[in-house]
Amino acid sequence: MGRADGWGRTQGREVYQKLVDFVEGHPGAIVIHISLSGINRTDISFASEAVVELARRYRGAKGFCLTDLTNADLIENWDAAALKANQPLMIEATDGRLQTLGAEPSPGNLPAFTFALERSSARAAEFAAATKVSITNASTKFKQLWEQGFLLRRQNLAPSGGVEFEYFQIR
Amino acid sequence: MAALDIPFRAAGAGLAPARPIELPAIWVDGSALDQALAACGGAHESRSGDLTFRFPVGCKVMIDSAVRLLSLLNQLDNCTRRAVLEFDEGEAGVMGYLDRMGFFDCLSPNVGVHPYRPAVSAADAYRGRNPGLVEIAAIGTQVRDQELPNRLTSVLVEACSDRQDVEALGGAAWLIFAELVDNIYSHSQTRLDGFAALQVYPRGNGLKVAVSDSGLGIMATLRPSLQSQHPSLSRLSDLDLLVEIFREGVSRHGSQRGCGLKGAAAKAVKFSAELEVRLPQIRVQLTPSLSGYRRSTARCFQGLPLIWGTHICFSFRLDSPV
Repeated sequence: MGRADGWGRTQGREVYQKLVDFVEGHPGAIVIHISLSGINRTDISFASEAVVELARRYRGAKGFCLTDLTNADLIENWDAAALKANQPLMIEATDGRLQTLGAEPSPGNLPAFTFALERSSARAAEFAAATKVSITNASTKFKQLWEQGFLLRRQNLAPSGGVEFEYFQIR
Repeated sequence: MAALDIPFRAAGAGLAPARPIELPAIWVDGSALDQALAACGGAHESRSGDLTFRFPVGCKVMIDSAVRLLSLLNQLDNCTRRAVLEFDEGEAGVMGYLDRMGFFDCLSPNVGVHPYRPAVSAADAYRGRNPGLVEIAAIGTQVRDQELPNRLTSVLVEACSDRQDVEALGGAAWLIFAELVDNIYSHSQTRLDGFAALQVYPRGNGLKVAVSDSGLGIMATLRPSLQSQHPSLSRLSDLDLLVEIFREGVSRHGSQRGCGLKGAAAKAVKFSAELEVRLPQIRVQLTPSLSGYRRSTARCFQGLPLIWGTHICFSFRLDSPV
């Protein structure tokens, strides 16, 4: 960024472009960590233009996780930016916990999201077996969470020969 | 970026000089400034090409009205009107204060000043030395003063050092300043500079941060897009829409934008700051409540003398609110 403060839409757009260049230059990277180490302050407009727009652009294909963000005041600003865009944004706390800013999963999808957060990856069949919902219902929940930007997924071949999706958290 | 299209009016053109716009011999806040303008039928509205603003002995201009007046005078000059400021007390009075704040550095050179325009700027001479103020900073579209939010925040934190929540207040204040000033850079759409300044009023247990621009104003830029971007808001009155901008975040760029002013207002409410917004012809005072700024606690003044732009003032208490 060149400065310790992230201020305003103009600077946010400049940083956004640099981040897009980085992402495009690393096509194999699915989850990208963005460290805020050395950043004193960021306003909502900057957060919105620089990172929330990035997360929206790559929603479903790539995920972004903020690190080194511990100041409650700053977290509030990032939360407001993500919320306005109805975009979830992940922060990895220093103790490794994953916190979601911005959009929240619907009450109906929350158990599936929590299930995914508790393991390295999750399949609809596993969630269905654990919670007694139908596999179709479990698939729908995970698919919605993926479309809304809460989870990522990769496609595998199921033992039956069909396609099966493996969902994983953004961290 | 489109230039602001202020209606052209030829200077003079055989019209009689208007009677002076007399500022009162008291503290002049935004409300007193509007009353003084209204008493003479307004500055932009005057049919005369020559306008005189008179500052009597005892007149003290508060920072919110100082930056508004600055915007108004530069607007008048941009419309080829001849404005003259008459300071009855000279440098010993409010003229000296305005000089210290950098008012004349930002004032169009075409605006006359009596008894004289200060030869050396007191703001330049003493800039940054008074912990109770931040001199008026011009906000142009070309060069960005990257340190402005930090300067405003430092003075606020110093002034409010007795508050228990001063650290959190500093973070919130930076956000407010950053969003307000960035809004001018991003949205005012005018070639005239905007302004920001801060003044601590120890005896009034408060400080005011004022920003002012000469753009079209929030309503003029937002209204045309409401039907397509926010149809449910298109029938709201200006007052209701203004409250909505600060409560919910409304932007002409669609529902995903507009979080800046909303975020600034949310922080200000958290610290019980009062908010005043002056648009071309309305002024709204918003008092914080538990649920933020609300229509029911807003005082609105309509049909005011014209001042182009958006003029925002946040007032903070120096001690912790009870």
